[in-house]
Amino acid sequence: MIQLTNVSKIYPNGAKALVDVSLRIGKGEFVFLVGPSGAGKSTLIRLLYREEHPSRGLVSFNGQNLVRMKEREVPFLRRKIGVIFQDFKLLPRKTVRENVGFALEVLGLQRHEVEVRAEKALELVGLTKKLKAFPHELSGGEQQRVCVARAIVNDPALLMADEPTGNLDPDTSWEIMDLLHNINKKGTTVVMATHAKDIVDQMKKRVVAIEQGRIARDDEKGGYGYEL
Amino acid sequence: MSFSSAKYVLRETLSSVKRNPWLSIASVMTVMVSLIILGFSAFFLANTSNMAQSFESQVEISAFVHTNVPETQVEALETKIKAMPGVASVVLVTKKEGLAQFGQSLGKAGGNLVSDLGGTNPLPDKFTIKAADPRRVKTLAAQLQQFTELKSVRYGQGVVDRLLQFTRWLRWMGAGVIIAFGAAAVVLISINIKMNVFSRRREIQIMKLVGASNWFIRWPFLVEGLFLGLAGGILATVLVGTGYNWLAGYVSSTLAFLPVVRSAWLFWQVQTTLLVLGMVIGAAGSALSLRKFLNV
Repeated sequence: MIQLTNVSKIYPNGAKALVDVSLRIGKGEFVFLVGPSGAGKSTLIRLLYREEHPSRGLVSFNGQNLVRMKEREVPFLRRKIGVIFQDFKLLPRKTVRENVGFALEVLGLQRHEVEVRAEKALELVGLTKKLKAFPHELSGGEQQRVCVARAIVNDPALLMADEPTGNLDPDTSWEIMDLLHNINKKGTTVVMATHAKDIVDQMKKRVVAIEQGRIARDDEKGGYGYEL
Repeated sequence: MSFSSAKYVLRETLSSVKRNPWLSIASVMTVMVSLIILGFSAFFLANTSNMAQSFESQVEISAFVHTNVPETQVEALETKIKAMPGVASVVLVTKKEGLAQFGQSLGKAGGNLVSDLGGTNPLPDKFTIKAADPRRVKTLAAQLQQFTELKSVRYGQGVVDRLLQFTRWLRWMGAGVIIAFGAAAVVLISINIKMNVFSRRREIQIMKLVGASNWFIRWPFLVEGLFLGLAGGILATVLVGTGYNWLAGYVSSTLAFLPVVRSAWLFWQVQTTLLVLGMVIGAAGSALSLRKFLNV
């Protein structure tokens, strides 16, 4: 499903985020990306929904070459990928329900269907009481959950999460992990960058460790592997 | 665009205006002020050029006939002058009419002017000639001087030159004012739109990351710009319309010598232009300034 071939990403300021990375993730897999901050995990995720272009190498999703993809095709790529952003990226002037519904609005769905499905997704993350609240009225954890709901509302083929439990207490973190686990069981590929050692160790999923822009380790059913 | 998308665009526009009332009011005000400036400049231009024309139309040539020229020859001369190229109108004021006018201008004292003058009329016959183009008055006067029947030809030498200089200046000023204020209006509105879009660039970025196409983002902005521009345009037309009518009435009642344009056609022309301009500026301005934020 995802194929990175000799990918390097060097930012204009000279920072080398990724160096000659090759990685293959199959359909239906659950993959943890671990490694120190600034190792290149976020960059790898950004390459996949085409917020960034690689400096060298090939990135492909479902056989489509993302490097050569035309600008007007990018929205269609992003509709197949749900992203849980580290900084949530919620629309400040829209309510919780509208934020989640926006991922369906862009598909051109009827308003009624948009609302029903948005409410269902918010039920899954346990936020049915805040449908009409605005993002600034929510706590960090609640905003995080709105972002999760928006990422899963349109049943994406790939779900990517950048530190989705970073702002949550342990209980809520596990709720989110259960959610991701269930979504994965239904066939959605999940890629998650995280620092949460206990979660990685307990889930026993594939672990890809990135250090200084290179893949340091790639274990089936691995552990976090770093001492905190 | 499908029906449900059209409904989405309208809903987005309404909620955006509702949730950002101050930003919307600021945009309407900016468009309004700019269009008011532009509207008054247009009326100013129309009036300065009208004023110039009316001043110029008052330039005329007076040609006096020798007193010994018989009446028939005066009439023949009139037809000859009428036939000259560049002559717009010729009015003959005969000695008799001239004397009657003179008597009237003296009031009571002029009651029996002829007898007071000893039974003779000392006034000459006079032609009042208007040139089609006031700038040609000088050459026309020189040509008239060729007629031996005419004793003297006068056209306010010196004054005409200065008048023409003044009217040319008036016209330039009218055009200058509309260009300067037009440019100011464009700058004002484009700054406002840029601010609007800039304040929402993060929203635009998020929308793109969630899979919105450029047009999906652009339409609500465009329609919102259109509505806000239209609102500003309506306010501007009302204010410019009543303001100009009041001003025109005031000027023509207190400074009666200043000719004021009060043509309904000009009025509606300026008004519709302001309305259409408001909408176009609002919509096109938003669409154009969105461009650089859409590449995410």
